[in-house]
Amino acid sequence: MRITDNAGLKHKKMNKEDTMAKELPGYGTIKVPKDREVPFGAVTPAPVCTQNLFQTSNWRVVRPVKDDEKCTRCLICYLSCPDACWIYKEEEDMMEWVAGFCKGCQICINECPTGALTAEPELDFKDGVIRLEKPF
Amino acid sequence: MAKVHEITVWTRGVIMDKEGRDVINIFAKAAQMDGKHAQAFDNYEDLPDRVLVTTRKYVRLSDEEIEHKYVYTNDEPEVVVILEATIVKGIDILRGMKKGGTLIINTNRSIDSMLKFIPNAKLLGTIATVDADGITGVRTVDFSGSEGGVDTSGIGKGIASPVCGAIAKVTGMIKKENLAKIVSDVSGMERGYKEVKIKKLG
Repeated sequence: MRITDNAGLKHKKMNKEDTMAKELPGYGTIKVPKDREVPFGAVTPAPVCTQNLFQTSNWRVVRPVKDDEKCTRCLICYLSCPDACWIYKEEEDMMEWVAGFCKGCQICINECPTGALTAEPELDFKDGVIRLEKPF
Repeated sequence: MAKVHEITVWTRGVIMDKEGRDVINIFAKAAQMDGKHAQAFDNYEDLPDRVLVTTRKYVRLSDEEIEHKYVYTNDEPEVVVILEATIVKGIDILRGMKKGGTLIINTNRSIDSMLKFIPNAKLLGTIATVDADGITGVRTVDFSGSEGGVDTSGIGKGIASPVCGAIAKVTGMIKKENLAKIVSDVSGMERGYKEVKIKKLG
C-alpha cells in the first residue's frame, strides 16, 4: 500500500510551463497566497497522489492477479484502468497493482492482450482490503 | 414501547440492489401476515447507484406500533444478513450489535473460513450460511422498485427467496407458510430453508 501525503506535494519547484506562465499578460496582477497556488494548466495532483478519504477497496468482489511471465509490459492495463490502479515501475520493469482503490471492475482483465491477468475471488486472500467502519 | 427488532441487510449497489430490496420487502410482508408491525426501507446515506458499492437495507419488527419512524438507521441490529460474502472483509458489519446477535451470510464457503474475516465475532450468538447463488443462480437487476415505484418483475425471483427461507429458519421471526404466499420462487425458498448451515457460538 503506497499512500503519499497530499501536503507533501504542495510546494514543488516551478516547471517549464510555470515559467512560461510568467510571460503571459496579467501575470501577477492578482496576489494568490502561497498555499493556494495552482500550477499553469491547473493540473491537480490526483490520481498520481492517492487520497486516503476515498478507499474503495471494499467494493471489490474479485481482484486481478498478474502473471509476470505472460506480461509483456504493453501498459494497456495502465491505460484502461479508470482509477489508475496499475503503476509501471521502471527500475524493476514491473507492473504494480494498487489494492486500496481497485474496485474489481475487471476492465484490465478483459483488455489484457496476453491473458496475463486473471480474476481471483477476494475471499481467497487474507488482506488487501481496507476495513471501514461504514460505507462512505 | 415494545421492543423493536432491528434487521440489517448488506448488499451491493446496482448488481444486487433489487435482491436486497426484495429481502426486506418479503421479510416485512411475512411479518405483517403474522400480525406484527413492520417497517422496510433503504439506507438514506448509501448511494446504491454505484456498481458494487456496499449498501444497507433495514427492517424493523415489533408487536406494537413502531413509534420512532423518523430514525432512518438501525443502530443496534439484532440480525445482520450479508447478501454478498466479500462484504465481511471490507466493512465492520457487526457495528452496534449487542452480544448474542445473529449473522446470516450468502456463501458456499465454510462457516469457519468466514469467521476468520470477522475480528469482532465474539458478539455473535449464531452464525449461518446459505448458498443462495448455488440454489437459484439468478440475480435480478431491476430499478423499477426503487424510489418508491412498484416492482414489475415480481418479488423474490432471485437469491432473495433462499435467503429469506434461511432467515425464517435461523431467527424464527417469520413463518415459512407466509413466505410461500409472497415469493415467486417457492422451491428456492424451501431449499434455502432446508440447506442453511447453522452454528451456535458461545
